[in-house]
Amino acid sequence: MDPRESVTIAARSIRSHKLRSTLTVIGVVIGIASVVTFATFGASVEAEVVGSIGESGANNVYVLGQPSDEGGFGQAAQPIFTESDVSNIGELDGVEAVIPRGTVQANSVTYGNDTVAIQQLTATVPAAVTSDVLVEGRSFRPGANETVLNRAAARSTFAENVTVGDQITVDRNDASWNLTVVGIVNGTAGELPVGGFGPQPSVYVPADPFYNTVVESPSANVPQRAYPQLTVVAEPAETLAVTDAVESYLQTESDARQLAPAGVDLVARTSGDFAEQISDVISQITRFVTGIAVIALVVGAIGIANIMLVSVTERTREIGIMKAVGARNRDVMELFLLEATLLGAGGALIGLPLGLAVSWGAAQYADVGFALAPFWSALAVLVGVLVGVVAGLYPAWRAARIDPIEALRYE
Amino acid sequence: MAQTQSESVVDLVDVRKTYEMGGIVEALAGVSLSLSDGSYTAVMGPSGSGKSTLLNLIGGLDTPTEGTVTVGGRDLSTATETELAAVRGSEVGFVFQTFNLMPRLTAVENVAMPLVFDGWDRAERRERARDLLGDVGLGDRLDHRPTELSGGQRQRVAIARALAPSPQIILADEPTGNVDTETGERIMGLLEDLHAAGNTIMLVTHERRIAEHAERIAHVRDGVLERVEEVER
Repeated sequence: MDPRESVTIAARSIRSHKLRSTLTVIGVVIGIASVVTFATFGASVEAEVVGSIGESGANNVYVLGQPSDEGGFGQAAQPIFTESDVSNIGELDGVEAVIPRGTVQANSVTYGNDTVAIQQLTATVPAAVTSDVLVEGRSFRPGANETVLNRAAARSTFAENVTVGDQITVDRNDASWNLTVVGIVNGTAGELPVGGFGPQPSVYVPADPFYNTVVESPSANVPQRAYPQLTVVAEPAETLAVTDAVESYLQTESDARQLAPAGVDLVARTSGDFAEQISDVISQITRFVTGIAVIALVVGAIGIANIMLVSVTERTREIGIMKAVGARNRDVMELFLLEATLLGAGGALIGLPLGLAVSWGAAQYADVGFALAPFWSALAVLVGVLVGVVAGLYPAWRAARIDPIEALRYE
Repeated sequence: MAQTQSESVVDLVDVRKTYEMGGIVEALAGVSLSLSDGSYTAVMGPSGSGKSTLLNLIGGLDTPTEGTVTVGGRDLSTATETELAAVRGSEVGFVFQTFNLMPRLTAVENVAMPLVFDGWDRAERRERARDLLGDVGLGDRLDHRPTELSGGQRQRVAIARALAPSPQIILADEPTGNVDTETGERIMGLLEDLHAAGNTIMLVTHERRIAEHAERIAHVRDGVLERVEEVER
């Protein structure tokens, strides 16, 4: 039959029960809006986090030991990378710098009259403090009693702000060090991108002389400093090649290979790898939450099916009349299916912008950039229409099979 | 036989219809009847005699258990559901006791409805519906809904609807049963006009006074055609 006429008839029967149709559509709207909201908000968070990882050192290759039975990015903090490893990796093609990183135990740190319980200092090399991250001052020199603080440590840890040139005192069980603050940084080069999103106060000291974790190097046969993690800074565009070269060095020649405990894999990771892992985790969470939202959509579908069944029963006589004047089973089926589809599509049409608006609001509230999830949004609309079709199928089939004689007798 | 068939619009040959309603009910027990082109036949009988079943079979609303029903040269006993729908839509026009108009549609839309299923385009449908409503005297009620019309007006809308696809035969089932006597006479006058214009009409009623408007009366009792009586003018 004439498709325009079908739409007119279907729309008319929807309009003739305004409240009922509105409530049914609201069910679908809620379902679709929640799917779109969660999918879009998830995509926004993912884009934000992955974006911030991407910014922090696309040329960095992170070298660490990772328990082989863990899929995630938990790292084994054993000091296994020796000074020999550091200098050998430094000689590989395309490597600009190797920044080792380790922790130094302390009891507390004092500035002026204020003593704060900072129990881990970060030991690294001067190259970690690049001009990119320096807010004030300069990097420390090897062998000097100097330190660099991050902004959290300088601005909000002690009673008074610490500035370049001030002295701080680090208290340890065996000694206490008086260090001159020579620089204030916003993070350091070679920091793991997953080091935490909150600004923890950090105190950086030169590994020489303050880092005292020492192992016997299997290749050099002398005691050497050993670090739990290295960051290799590659020349631009050489990151992949460097990653491969470092991997192969780790597996075949490194000291770490022999020092690593059983069950720990040595891995070279780019920030892209980390981004991918985090993005995997976020999208798993997003999928899970979106899956819950799909339940709302199913409830909406049941609402449509329910109202369509009521409608078929109510209009039994009308179906009989239509059949008496020549409607085929197919025409009747088409009309009811169209009506259900219009309800579903209406829900999708309202639900999509509503979901986008809510997720935009959520993104503003959570202070992340707004990113669209076009696939999920398109899917939500498609599902809305499909929900109408599926929910309408059985009622429409029932309508089509109504016996016209019975229907005309129906009061 | 071949000659009568060429003139007849409807042929029923030894038609039986049984229903299962907690036991087998025989609604028609072997009825043979022909309606020739342009004839006006009334079917009379008490309720339960099988007269409505007869009408439903001719109208393609139902199929016979045995025997053949031929309408416009087409055998309905073997027709598919889609073919039956086509017969209902274009070969026959129903007029019911309870009017059976679509409550949410206007008079024009009701009259145009059979044409929707017959594949007419919108403008042609409306034009045809307007013409027909004018013919039955409702030219000023085109956009009224059934609830805004009197019983007689509703029945005239229903008659216009039955005429819309230019059917071979008009089947009227107690068309005056739900209107007062005076209105009933006007409806019967309208059917007579249609007959005079060459339409084939079959009317089902239990009232002799109404049946006498036809050319002949077929008396049905207990599923059997008892006799066919010519009405004297």
